[in-house]
Amino acid sequence: MRITKLSLAVAALVVTGTTLQAQTNNASITATASVQTPINVVGAQQLNFGNVFPGVNKTVAATDLTNGGRFDVSGQASTPVTLSFTLPASLSSGSNTMPIASYSAIHALLNTQVGGVAFSPAAGATTPLSGTGALFVWVGAQVQPATNQAAGVYTGSITMTVVY
Amino acid sequence: MKRQAWVVIGAMLLGVPLLAQGKPLTVTGVRGVTFGAVLPGVPRVVLRTDPANSGQFDIKGPKGGPVLLSFVLPLTMTGPSGALMPITFGASDGGFSSTASIGSQVGFDPRQPTTVIFPNNGNVSVFVGATANPAANQRAGAYTATITLTVTYL
Repeated sequence: MRITKLSLAVAALVVTGTTLQAQTNNASITATASVQTPINVVGAQQLNFGNVFPGVNKTVAATDLTNGGRFDVSGQASTPVTLSFTLPASLSSGSNTMPIASYSAIHALLNTQVGGVAFSPAAGATTPLSGTGALFVWVGAQVQPATNQAAGVYTGSITMTVVY
Repeated sequence: MKRQAWVVIGAMLLGVPLLAQGKPLTVTGVRGVTFGAVLPGVPRVVLRTDPANSGQFDIKGPKGGPVLLSFVLPLTMTGPSGALMPITFGASDGGFSSTASIGSQVGFDPRQPTTVIFPNNGNVSVFVGATANPAANQRAGAYTATITLTVTYL
């Protein structure tokens, strides 16, 4: 009988120790993020050279609000963005090509170009969006038709990429 | 009788250190991982050593014993209308501090269960860093996810 009591005491201690050794607990925390407005770019106006005559260079300035190409950008207000371009070296009409000699560009916070900043589209630019999250970019260029340039409609694609 | 007494004494000696180590184990989520403003297409990294934005758990418990740390880590954060944004944890995004100080951490991989040794005062902290990976067209809004730390006294 006495041995039985002692055995129970030992067993109780061992059980107690085992329980303490197996302690486990947990807690959680939260990861949070506030995602800002994604960038949206719209090709708002084509770069239009109009009629071009063989042997006569034709320039459309970036300041030309009627014929200059224009991109409209929207995104997170007052946040810097980087502009980069893919610029064609020539325009094409079927198998015929016409060289583009140079490009120019202006970015501005207003679509009137007031306060605009000129930059080289080949080099790109970094500038903040406006307080309402807007940016306007104009592109100009010069084409150099050969004296024997074949008649036709010539086109090329200018791509602007905008990243935060 | 004499033999039985020794058995009891032995059992008590065994029990005493276990009871001493048996201080209640508590885990407290002190601070969440805060990415703050995140721009679409731009990954945002929060280091475990970032005193303001890293996640922090405080643990109180056994003195001087081995403890297993294991996390349940999210793969994504959930945002508006159920939009998801990937969240990743690197091999050194977990930090264990035996002095409960963010300035004194040993890095570990939170993706794997990790065994650490508690100091004699039984107070430690665990810090967590992470990376949010928003897509270029990530829907704007608030995103959240839950990080759970389970601590087991071995």
